[in-house]
Amino acid sequence: MERTTEKQSKISTERPEPLIGRLGIQGLTKSFGEKVALDGFGLEVEGGEFISLLGPSGCGKTTALNCLSGLLEPDGGDIELDGESIVRVAPEKRRFGMVFQNYALFPHLSIVRNVAFGLEMDGVGKAETGERVEEVLAMVRLEEHRDKYPAQLSGGQQQRVALARAVVTRPRIILMDEPLSNLDARLRLEMRTEIRRLHQTLGLTTIYVTHDQEEALSLSDRVVLMSDGAIRQVGPPKEVYAEPASAYAAGFLGYRNLLPVKVASVEGERATVSTESGVELSGTLRDDLAADDEAVAAIRPEDVGVLASDHKEPGSVPGTVELVEFLGRDSELNVKTSFGDVVARTDGDWSPGASVSLVFPPERLLVFPGEDR
Amino acid sequence: MTGAARSKSRWGIDGRLVLLLGPALVLVAALFVYPFLYGVGVSLTPAQGREGIFSSYAAFFGDARERASIWNTLRIAIPVTLANLLVAVPLAYRMRRPLKGQRPISAVFVVPMTLGVVLVAQGMLTFFGPAGWFNKTLMAVGLVEEPLRLVHNYVGVLISLFIAEFPVVFLLLLGYASGIDPNLERAGRMLGAGAWQRFRRITLPLMMPGIAIAAALSFVATFAVFPSAVLVGEPAGSTRVIALAAWQAAYERFDYSMGSAIAITMAAIELAVVAAILFGRSRLYRGPSTGGKG
Repeated sequence: MERTTEKQSKISTERPEPLIGRLGIQGLTKSFGEKVALDGFGLEVEGGEFISLLGPSGCGKTTALNCLSGLLEPDGGDIELDGESIVRVAPEKRRFGMVFQNYALFPHLSIVRNVAFGLEMDGVGKAETGERVEEVLAMVRLEEHRDKYPAQLSGGQQQRVALARAVVTRPRIILMDEPLSNLDARLRLEMRTEIRRLHQTLGLTTIYVTHDQEEALSLSDRVVLMSDGAIRQVGPPKEVYAEPASAYAAGFLGYRNLLPVKVASVEGERATVSTESGVELSGTLRDDLAADDEAVAAIRPEDVGVLASDHKEPGSVPGTVELVEFLGRDSELNVKTSFGDVVARTDGDWSPGASVSLVFPPERLLVFPGEDR
Repeated sequence: MTGAARSKSRWGIDGRLVLLLGPALVLVAALFVYPFLYGVGVSLTPAQGREGIFSSYAAFFGDARERASIWNTLRIAIPVTLANLLVAVPLAYRMRRPLKGQRPISAVFVVPMTLGVVLVAQGMLTFFGPAGWFNKTLMAVGLVEEPLRLVHNYVGVLISLFIAEFPVVFLLLLGYASGIDPNLERAGRMLGAGAWQRFRRITLPLMMPGIAIAAALSFVATFAVFPSAVLVGEPAGSTRVIALAAWQAAYERFDYSMGSAIAITMAAIELAVVAAILFGRSRLYRGPSTGGKG
């Protein structure tokens, strides 16, 4: 770890020239028996981009990745790399790199031999193989473990070997399947930085599958939000974070309060909505809605204001603190209101049983169509 | 508590736990160590008309016909073991992932194990005999003009032992092959390895420890061949195997000393081969066959 700063100084802030121009994915479909895993998945990827496929398990993100790798044959659709269809090309001929969730290191080969494997398959000469292997091992800071076997390394080290093995062949595209999900929280952060650093250094076009919104937002140039085998929203992390396209997207991106409401009145961008218990809240419309429409009002815990109950504000909602989770900088409260539980984050000092008054800033309360998921 | 703590040895094992090994040790001693030592003793006791403690061994190795039984046995055990591996390795590799019809296919491979050597020999005599279905078919198709001699000779013993030992070898290897993380081959594919290279560089090395064990088991079982050498072989000639030589010495000539000497020689050869295989195995990679955290 003490070597991190020294190595990090070598990161170029300019991205190197990407190896591919663009990757075009059109209308990929894949079913497993009755279950539709992928339903018209289409995406344009620029060379050098870092794309995350984000979604809950079973949303089709791994199926999409496996179709890209060629390990799985899609039922329909096309994949074009710089204008050339590769959907029928065998995985071993695609020149893509892949990082697996369980690393999939060859247990019977030393670290050096693991990393050299792809170069040997490509018929790269011994001298060049040696040089390139040493180069990537240095990049992931594993030189001193070069002759060890995978089982002798920690999870984080194994994952770094997997990264090194995947990038050493200079793949046209690198695919990552939840590479951090087997690591503990601290290592996950460390490896996230590692992946970001590798991407910045090598400029490899990367497709990254994850169910962790934080990972997707922190790593990617663009986030692709998926559910039920289809894309729900695509955009840069900031955009996706601030402007989710649907109640579903909002729910997945940290809008933990999703309140079923009915639109009472609409005035331009603003809408007044009425909760199940009849409380009226003011919010921002995110879609065309009219009075009496069923809707979902979404707000992040950190946007909910928590005030003392005697501190009345127009539009504030009374509630009782039920649970308090201390998170370090602040606390997360579970507050019982007349229309259900609301999660709020606050640096105030509250204890269970306290009466509070909740404030929902209208510009942060997003109103989505109700039937949307 | 204190009693248990006191009886802990310096390896931290409760001394009383060793007692649990007692019954097993008694069994091993009674069924293996004692007969073996007894046999060594008998083999070193000269029979009438011979002198010196190694005279029975000398008599065995000094007689060309007796000595040839070692070669006769190796000539059966080695090819059968190799043939078993050669067929079982690709099959196990092919079946490492569940296939359609896995159960009936496995059953076909495994049933011979339940039949016993004598029944298999019985079946072989009629099926592979001069008037059996096998030869009839070959002649009907016009592949041969005269029936092939497939029983009562060397080939018959090979076939019979192949049938008898194949299930063990196959099942053992299937266990090893299906225990290999399928992601390893996927990783190999993504790194540009074709089907042969994936087998050669990933799966085969990970199956090697299992192949070594299967080879050892198959060799020992076939080296001790007795019934099929008599039933479908040529016990007076090419398939006069070492077990048969020992039996004839002990129970036809009642020369227990020489019979024991032959049996001990047989055990020594088996041990040497198994030791060589296990030594080779100890130099292989023998760790987990998965590629990381599950």
